Amino acid sequence: MSGPGEQEVIVVIDDDAAMRLSCRKILAKLGHRVETFEDGTQGLEGVSRLRPGLVVVDLKMPGLSGLEVVARVRELDPLVVVVVITGYATIDTAVEAMKAGAYDFLPKPFSPEELRLIVNRSLERRRLSLEARRAEMDRELLRRRFVTFVSHQLQTPLAAVHQYLSVLQQFEETGAVEGKRREWIERCLRRAEEMQTLIRDWLTLARLESDRLARERAPVDLGQIIPNILATYEPLAAEERVTLEARLPETGCTVAGDPNCLNVLFDNLITNAIKYNRPEGRISVTAGCQGEEVEVAVADTGVGIPPQCRERLFDEFFRVRGEGAKKTPGTGLGLAICKRIVTELGGSITVESEPGAGSTFRVRLPAWRAAAAREDRTESTP
Amino acid sequence: MAASATILLIDDDQDFRASVRAALEARGYQVLEAESGDLGLKMLVEHRPQVVVLDIMMTSAAEGYGVTQAIRWQEAYRDYRNVPIIMVSSIEETPDERFSMAGEVDMIRPDQYLTKPLDIPRFLEVVKAVARPT
Repeated sequence: MSGPGEQEVIVVIDDDAAMRLSCRKILAKLGHRVETFEDGTQGLEGVSRLRPGLVVVDLKMPGLSGLEVVARVRELDPLVVVVVITGYATIDTAVEAMKAGAYDFLPKPFSPEELRLIVNRSLERRRLSLEARRAEMDRELLRRRFVTFVSHQLQTPLAAVHQYLSVLQQFEETGAVEGKRREWIERCLRRAEEMQTLIRDWLTLARLESDRLARERAPVDLGQIIPNILATYEPLAAEERVTLEARLPETGCTVAGDPNCLNVLFDNLITNAIKYNRPEGRISVTAGCQGEEVEVAVADTGVGIPPQCRERLFDEFFRVRGEGAKKTPGTGLGLAICKRIVTELGGSITVESEPGAGSTFRVRLPAWRAAAAREDRTESTP
Repeated sequence: MAASATILLIDDDQDFRASVRAALEARGYQVLEAESGDLGLKMLVEHRPQVVVLDIMMTSAAEGYGVTQAIRWQEAYRDYRNVPIIMVSSIEETPDERFSMAGEVDMIRPDQYLTKPLDIPRFLEVVKAVARPT
């Protein structure tokens, strides 16, 4: 719209005919369209009609004052840039004009070069504010799209249940739905569970956002919580015909964190490894201390993740599309939750994967000693 | 008679398809199901349904709009250009809100826009109104 060198509409309002003429000459040479007006009233009418990018206005005019014009122009369009022309020794009025919303002022008499400089600077300022507004609008659009998407995800299972029930109600007496009732009740229950999981995950994410984690640190021995989680999932793994293995050292796996969150983290990674595995597949969980960090790797022998999906894997609601995803229920929030927990705790999570062969999720978390030592240092620093 | 018309349901949600199918079959319609936009377009050509019921958010957030645009504007679907399209979605944003520029929305405006869960009696009325017997 108004990049450097592009034509802008500039309105000049001045009661002095010579001044209007010279401004027009100087600015037209810069390649802009210049319109001049001899008083505030006509000037304002011109501004609302021409929608200029820049208004140059003389402060001292008969009739409507320059100050009044500045304020009204800003009311008409807050993004228009206004420069005021002031007489000798009227810095006070210039300051008043700036308060009313003028961007800059130009004291009389001024050289063509001074006018050119201030106009270029003003137009640059306008370009920047237009850019900022566009970026703001883009952000707003993204935010709105995200809200739409979340509400879609939340409403879909509910709508499915509602619709089964309303079809049952509508056709109950006609016998048209006879024989479908049992299956539909089964499906309604499944969708209601899906809804519950989604709400639970969403609340977990929201809770993580409230930033409590960073303050509540305690030593958590992963060598204890991981075997517990694995034990919980033995039956599910057996059902899916997947073998669970763990190689965790006896000591040295204590990290600084919140036990509940760390449970959620490894619970998510381990259930994913079971869900996205293949029959007769394997899951191995290994851990070790590396310097000031504890690294845990959860490896599966499942479907794997296509390279193009890895970047978005930890995004909210992202799910890898394909046969596997269709068969496996999931909210698309599990890995987003993992990512947030790990980030909050000052660690990292990465994934390596070979489609068809399996994936390995690697979590690195600050070891308890290292985190405690860091805290000591921070506290002793005045 | 309208009740013998064939309706094509394009939706990735199997539960939505199952319940709508039962309601339509109870009224004597033939029902075809497609779980994606691509499959839906293929079935449109193969079976020439009298009405298309189309979900908006499938694999992508605007897949339904893509399907509508293809049916209305692509040369490959010239013969089916005028098939009535009933767009359904659980999102509140209507096509007119989503595509605020007049030209854009004219490209993809469905014959009807309904929100999920469907009000079944009203949905059946809408289908009856737009279905043209072959």
